[in-house]
Amino acid sequence: MAEVVVTGYGVRTAFGRGADALRRGVFGGVPSFAPTTRFDTGPYRTPFAATTGTDEPDSQRDALGDCVDEAVEMAGFTARDDTAVLVGTSGDFAVLTRFWRGEAGVDVADTVPAHLVDLLAARIGAAGQRLAFTNACVASASAVIHACGLIASGRLDSAVCAGAYLVEEEVFAKFDSGRALSRDGVVRPFSADRSGLLLGDGAAAVVLESATSARRRGARPLATVVGWGAASDAFHVSRPHPGGAGLAAAAQRALRRSGDPDGLRVDYVNAHGTATKFNDPAETRGLHEVFGARADQVPVSSTKSTTGHLLEAAGIVEFVITLLALTDGVLPPTANFTGADPSCDLDYVPNTPRDADVRRAMSVNAAFGGANTALVLERP
Amino acid sequence: MTTATSGSPVSGFIESAFNPLVHEVASRCLTDRPGDGTRTAIVLGSTIGDSTTTDLASTLLIGGQVSNPLLFMQATANAVLGYLSKEFGITGPLVALSALTDLGSALLDTAALLLDDEELDRVLVVGVELTGNDRTAAASLELGLDVPAEDFAVALLVDRDTPPGDTAGYDLRRLAGRPTP
Repeated sequence: MAEVVVTGYGVRTAFGRGADALRRGVFGGVPSFAPTTRFDTGPYRTPFAATTGTDEPDSQRDALGDCVDEAVEMAGFTARDDTAVLVGTSGDFAVLTRFWRGEAGVDVADTVPAHLVDLLAARIGAAGQRLAFTNACVASASAVIHACGLIASGRLDSAVCAGAYLVEEEVFAKFDSGRALSRDGVVRPFSADRSGLLLGDGAAAVVLESATSARRRGARPLATVVGWGAASDAFHVSRPHPGGAGLAAAAQRALRRSGDPDGLRVDYVNAHGTATKFNDPAETRGLHEVFGARADQVPVSSTKSTTGHLLEAAGIVEFVITLLALTDGVLPPTANFTGADPSCDLDYVPNTPRDADVRRAMSVNAAFGGANTALVLERP
Repeated sequence: MTTATSGSPVSGFIESAFNPLVHEVASRCLTDRPGDGTRTAIVLGSTIGDSTTTDLASTLLIGGQVSNPLLFMQATANAVLGYLSKEFGITGPLVALSALTDLGSALLDTAALLLDDEELDRVLVVGVELTGNDRTAAASLELGLDVPAEDFAVALLVDRDTPPGDTAGYDLRRLAGRPTP
């Protein structure tokens, strides 16, 4: 099996572009929520979201393009004939809204997820497989898992993976109707008084390649992806399994692949941590299942407490955050932690970043339908 | 392998033919060939996706009406995949894809990739397209996509010992997208 390495990344959240913005915001434990002015929030239960300033592009095609440019430049990477482009996106819903409002000059093709992938592939001259992953909050993590499988099996040498979601009214309205949004503008994962999630802008891209490919062109690996796995709950169309069964199974698949089935070498977990009633205890139970007696010694944090829930982009932005934890030796905190729910009893790195010698870390995500993913990264 | 152009209603899913179609072909396949759900994955492909649900929610929004929570629940294909996974005890990966060109081959390639994993024995491959609406027609025209003449779904179970064969390729090519070169 070929070794899969990360050689470049690009990222954008409500904190701005690039790693330093994440360091200031996510690693500083500073939430980025404010009443959004991107649309009229009057009809909804809350006005809050984590959105970038008006100087940033508000289209998925531009956000993805910026991130891919940044990732490719960092990696010093030139796409090849077999480079795959794999993107977590459900299409640009802001464009969809504008189409039905009858606005002129709408790029209606941007509502088709696969079109956004084709635009990115053309932008960097990649001629390999082009796929959009549309499986909601595990979409971009699924794209990374797919790329790892392709590269590890020797089917190809390189892939650019990405994901994007930018806050817009369509999806905001759906989450509002599902009463999933925190009304007071604060996201408190794992806390007893948590009241829901808030949406956030997110986009990221990573360059993945075989270690041989990176070595051949003199590129420095930032991290190795040593494990990946996916599994489902077989429980409910929208609620997670209360014991976190699918999340545990995904993590255990990833850990078995990494050669560390009991997770003894995992120094940090970036949790899905949505701050919803059902997710956080289920995820906690799932992590107990994974780590057993060692569970309370493994730091776990939810960076959605600062970025918001990035939906299709969650997996890949949190993959980048996890990579930064490895390279910087700092654990991002769970912000707004006010005291654990009795059924949430792990070390959630409350409120303050923590220095740590992180050699291996895992990022987990979960989605509607009981889909779960896990990715394990290792510092070179 | 099985195909369908309509499906029976599925509890909790409303308005759109997408989810009943997926459930129809998937449940037929899984009932005809029962197996170990813990060693089964599902890959669903649709170039355009569930345009009925997506665009209904959009037009409700623009009309100032409150979004139906059921539309929130079924807004991603994950929901019906979750329904199926519960019904048939499937705990392997659930993947949903969109591609502009040769989606059928992409689905079969993805199934083959999943079967590299020794923890899986079989993959349920599902393709589904709806005829769509004004928005999808405009997008398809811009992108040069073939639009299906009718709502359509196809499903087949792929395992290591049973290659999908030519007929599967034929039926999967009926999905929307650019014609296969």
